[in-house]
Amino acid sequence: MKKRGRGIATIMFGFGYGEGFPDHSIAAIEIKEQGPILVKTAAADVGQGVLTVLTQIAAEVLRVAPDRIVLSAGDTALTKNAGSTSATRQTYFTGSAVQKAAEGVLALLYHYGSLALHCNHPELVVKDGRVYRYDRPDHFMSYQELARLAHEKGELLQAEASFFPRTDAPDPETGQGERVYVAYTFMTQIAEVEVDTATGLVEVLRFDTALDLGKALNPQAVEGQIEGGTVMGMGMALMEEQVIKAGITLNPDLTGYLIPTALDCPPFYSRLVENKDAAGPFGAKGIGEPVTIGATPALANAIYAAIGIRFFELPITPDKIIKALRQEQGTNG
Amino acid sequence: MQIRLTVNGEERVVETTATTRLLDLLRTDLKLTGTKEGCGKGECGACTVLLNGQLVASCLLLAPQADRAEIITIEGIGSAEGLDPIQESYLEAGAVQCGFCTPGMILASKKLLEENPRPTVEEIRRGLSGNLCRCTGYHKIIAAVRLSAQKMADKGEGKDE
Ligand code: FES
Ligand code: FES
Repeated sequence: MKKRGRGIATIMFGFGYGEGFPDHSIAAIEIKEQGPILVKTAAADVGQGVLTVLTQIAAEVLRVAPDRIVLSAGDTALTKNAGSTSATRQTYFTGSAVQKAAEGVLALLYHYGSLALHCNHPELVVKDGRVYRYDRPDHFMSYQELARLAHEKGELLQAEASFFPRTDAPDPETGQGERVYVAYTFMTQIAEVEVDTATGLVEVLRFDTALDLGKALNPQAVEGQIEGGTVMGMGMALMEEQVIKAGITLNPDLTGYLIPTALDCPPFYSRLVENKDAAGPFGAKGIGEPVTIGATPALANAIYAAIGIRFFELPITPDKIIKALRQEQGTNG
Repeated sequence: MQIRLTVNGEERVVETTATTRLLDLLRTDLKLTGTKEGCGKGECGACTVLLNGQLVASCLLLAPQADRAEIITIEGIGSAEGLDPIQESYLEAGAVQCGFCTPGMILASKKLLEENPRPTVEEIRRGLSGNLCRCTGYHKIIAAVRLSAQKMADKGEGKDE
């Protein structure tokens, strides 16, 4: 028989290293006499899209199209510490550092612009790669020309910034602290499943997500991360299991260690809640880990709703479901 | 030993050995690094190429098995100036995250759409089930294939007129 059930999970996730660790990111932006605007950051993109978002942030602050920006990502000769791509922190930390560096460069554009055009900075327009006086739009200087002006003075049209928010170590007795993490992301997910009581197979029919992320800098990428993270959580709930015996992994491959394929994954419906309550770039918060964590309890609850059995060990594989159903029948009958 | 094969429409003569994998011939000898190595044992689909029109895992084939064959790799699909509709759709649908699975996914999508120009969602899932992705939830990849089908159909109709 096929039985359906729905399960819900809500989580609150403090991101960044937190707990008083010296968590920070340093970024720099340089405008040269030629070529695109260079953003220097060590932030690593592993598929979550941080480099796209950093490009957007720099472009937004510097008032140019994103294709005017290039990143030197992970080049240790050019970049300084951005911290790890972990702890759901890169958009928040490096995003903030890039925003601050871009603001520094924007201020320099006003500075060199007012020198070159002999006016006060409120009289200037800085936009689309050009600087000009409000009343003389045809008489403009490009950002690159201002870089040349800076070089003539022996200076660089470059700004470096760091983002280094304070957090506090929690009290060892109570676990409490004034600011244990920089901010919190909130999420609720609902999973709908169909459990085949003959085979123990769980089919995930759909996932609905509501994510309070402050501000979605790139809504499509956010959805992508929700979907990918949820599928990792689904894998953890239903199939991913590292089998270790005497210190040796017995299934170090994708035939023995199963991860979800296109056949296993449901459609996703996501709602992004833009409730700005944190100091991230444009109000954005981190979402990487929270979106991987809710799926497992939501699925465990959905399975419970379908067949009335609680599982306390992951993954909830077909053999465990069959065994539990048989036991139940035994005790009932 | 020497083998002769056509790669992305270009005839190539390559000096190789009996134990070289097709994947290494492509990546190392021909410098076509768009084809990826995920698992190296036929489980993930990252190394997918088309060999005489069939989807194959290039990590499981030896180079001499491709003697006289016609190979299409991701480099043979579209170009930087003129993307293939499938590539365009992947971009538009947001189906590329880290991009490691993408070359194989796109070749699998191409093969699927060649055989079945209007696949259902279930047929798309089945058609891509040999290609693993760890970043997306496949949702946007499936959307990309549907969009490709739409684009190709629109183009086809344009031709008829
Ligand atoms: S690398 Fe060939 S299938 Fe994984
Ligand atoms: S996009 Fe990263 S594996 Fe598919």
